[in-house]
Amino acid sequence: MATVEIEGGDLVVRVEGMDKLWALKSSLTIPLANVRGATNDPGMVSEPKGVRTAGTYVPGVVVAGSFRRDGERVFWDVRDPAKAVVIELADEQYARLVVQVDDPRATVELVEQAAGTRKD
Amino acid sequence: MDVGRPKGFDEEAAVAAAAELFARRSYDGTSVDDLVAQTGVHRGSLYKSFGSKRGLYLAALRHYVDRELGRAGDLQFLLLAAAERAAVDEEVASEVARAIELLDRAAGSEEATTLALGNKIRELGGGRGDS
Repeated sequence: MATVEIEGGDLVVRVEGMDKLWALKSSLTIPLANVRGATNDPGMVSEPKGVRTAGTYVPGVVVAGSFRRDGERVFWDVRDPAKAVVIELADEQYARLVVQVDDPRATVELVEQAAGTRKD
Repeated sequence: MDVGRPKGFDEEAAVAAAAELFARRSYDGTSVDDLVAQTGVHRGSLYKSFGSKRGLYLAALRHYVDRELGRAGDLQFLLLAAAERAAVDEEVASEVARAIELLDRAAGSEEATTLALGNKIRELGGGRGDS
């Protein structure tokens, strides 16, 4: 579980509770200029994860940490697929973040608006 | 327009396929699973090219307004976008406004557009209420 907030010109993702241990990471700060969009995507969890480079993967229970697949690094923090939000990045260490949030619809709206306002 | 766009698939064909799906199932009714199945493009490539489901939806709506609206005259995607998304998404609202202007110009009058949209709504209701 994670929280996603806009702070100044950054998107800040904070990993909550014990997931910090599983993911080996407590927060990520991304400049909004490098945030391309967000999508609630329950099916994302069924995708092959690739190679775990840091963190924990117990299929069907928890995906948390860094994974590499097809030359891309993806950060995961998901237990409940229904609440998974995919945040697409550009020019960052991670190609995308897949995080579980409390209210996927609100998070998607927040990120899409913030990513949209910096476009032109 | 966007950065990091891979060229491993026919983007225009994917956008057209997505437009067909959104026009039938609406925005909320279409999942990324549906889009992956319909376009035949890998999930990672869709995200990399369009940023999000909304990014793909906007590309699909623009494609429809530019390429399909005038030609086929099918108004369903326009009606759905107007009803479902225009009130909550400014970019959708501006595409809807652009579509209506195009229709006005093609038909030569606002009344013709209004009539066509009204008839489409009647048709979607199965012609009932047409007493």
